[in-house]
Amino acid sequence: MSAVATPSLKRDLGLIAWQVRYEQRAYWRNRGRGIFTFVFPLMFLVIFASLDKGAHISSRGGIPYDAFFVPGILAYGVIATTFVNMAISTAILRDQGVLKRMQGTPLPRWAYVAARIGSTLVIVGMMTVLVLALGAFAYNVHVRASTIPGLLITLALGTAAFTALGIGITRFIPNAEAAPVVVNVVILPLTFISSIWFPPDGMPKTLIDIAKLFPIRALADGLQYAFDPRTVGAGINAQDVETLAIWTVVGVFLMLRFLRHPQGEVR
Amino acid sequence: MKTTHTQTEGLAIEVRDLRKAYGEVEAVRGVSFEVARGEVFCLLGPNGAGKTSIVEILEGYRTRTHGEVRVLGLDPARGERELHERVGIVLQESGVQNDLTVRELVEMYGRYHLRRRPVDEVIELVELGEKADTRARKLSGGQKRRLDLALALVGDPDLIFLDEPTTGFDPGARRQAWSTIRSLCDLGKTVFLTTHYMDEAQHLANRVAVMNAGQIIAAGRPEELGGRDLRPAEIHFSLPVQWSLGDLPDIPFEQRSLDGDRVLVTTKEPVLATQRITTWAVDNDVDLGHFSVNQPTLEDIYLELTGAGVGEGETVTEEVVR
Repeated sequence: MSAVATPSLKRDLGLIAWQVRYEQRAYWRNRGRGIFTFVFPLMFLVIFASLDKGAHISSRGGIPYDAFFVPGILAYGVIATTFVNMAISTAILRDQGVLKRMQGTPLPRWAYVAARIGSTLVIVGMMTVLVLALGAFAYNVHVRASTIPGLLITLALGTAAFTALGIGITRFIPNAEAAPVVVNVVILPLTFISSIWFPPDGMPKTLIDIAKLFPIRALADGLQYAFDPRTVGAGINAQDVETLAIWTVVGVFLMLRFLRHPQGEVR
Repeated sequence: MKTTHTQTEGLAIEVRDLRKAYGEVEAVRGVSFEVARGEVFCLLGPNGAGKTSIVEILEGYRTRTHGEVRVLGLDPARGERELHERVGIVLQESGVQNDLTVRELVEMYGRYHLRRRPVDEVIELVELGEKADTRARKLSGGQKRRLDLALALVGDPDLIFLDEPTTGFDPGARRQAWSTIRSLCDLGKTVFLTTHYMDEAQHLANRVAVMNAGQIIAAGRPEELGGRDLRPAEIHFSLPVQWSLGDLPDIPFEQRSLDGDRVLVTTKEPVLATQRITTWAVDNDVDLGHFSVNQPTLEDIYLELTGAGVGEGETVTEEVVR
């Protein structure tokens, strides 16, 4: 049986690799999308870091503000390159009929989705490297060898959750023009209570509890935990990992529901 | 309950008693037809007649409510990859990855197929050679439509669906598209075309089925649809004032009338009638103005069949001026 399945799977893996190349090419050619997705988080990093130059966070044992902020921006970068990018581009592809066209080709739907996710992983990987490099060279915030497991697990789960959620939310985006609005309404308010831009110190407990329900805070907090100089051990924050894992399951569920009827459910 | 279906040799499409309901509304009401391999088959009808429902059922985008459908011997509702390998689809409206060039797109879509045509050959076939390195975003409407066709052809399909391929084209672009579509027939492809343009059906199709309100109301070769070839022809000309109908020679006719100086003769023997009238005019030195012989056009038949007062699309007058 596997003798029959293998050549076909091999062919499909080849097709995925092929498709990733073209997804990448298309992504980087569109300046408005490719460049701004990258410029935005890096711009925030530079602005915020220069505003608080040399500050320390007393509530966190006096750690440098940059050690909080670099992982926070990394979380934001991951969300921008996965959730925001995926939701907007999928809504556009759906509205323009590209998804419908792809459905009429011999490329299996799962392979196309895998290629879109694969291309997103390339982008999120580049974003991670850029933010970490800038953090290390400009702000003296270095990845700690001991907490690399925590960093990687949090990054991997965060990427999985937000990529899946980005595809899944397309079901609730009525049309491509509405996509940036819907995405920002979902993301932006949460970032302010989710430990991305500033520590949630002194924030009402209700807001913190609300933020804790969502994956943005889990991703930011998990990364900040791995970067916190006081953290001992592997840098795995069990609570954040758990939240991200739950949202990954939710995201995959929503993603699969969307993919069942990418054009809507009228037929 | 599935009956074993033996594929009829030489048939690209078989449809038996196809029905499609959207809630309470039945958009397709018991349609049956067959399309032979190598044939250009046209589904003609006004908007809302059910054409797109049928073509999207055949393409596998929609499920049917009732009936039997076979496309290249396969059931399109099962979404088999083999069918996608052998069928090319030009949808009514569908975009492409706009940031890629024509050549990249043809390459990219071609790779999905086991059997494919060379990229440059396909680009030449749809006459986009000069635009090969242009991004899809920058193409004109007509060029985009030709790109659609290229992407449908690159997998070297046996059967091509064209859903209203020239809607919104200017006359020049339509002629160009027609010549491309005709070149598909030379490649031996089966073409399934939907359109609401009469002249398109007439120029391209071997066989036409006219749809109205979810049913096929007439089918046949374009020239004989609705008994068009058997209808009387109309001969029009103007007669100088000193002559009257009684002066005309003996001709076979159904009806003849004089309105001012305009004469209308309807006849089932237009060749003989024309020959007698013109011979008489030359012999008697009669100056007949605006002489024309018209067969009822496909549009006349179509309007009659669909009962529509005003047809959509362009009017075609097929004038045989002798």
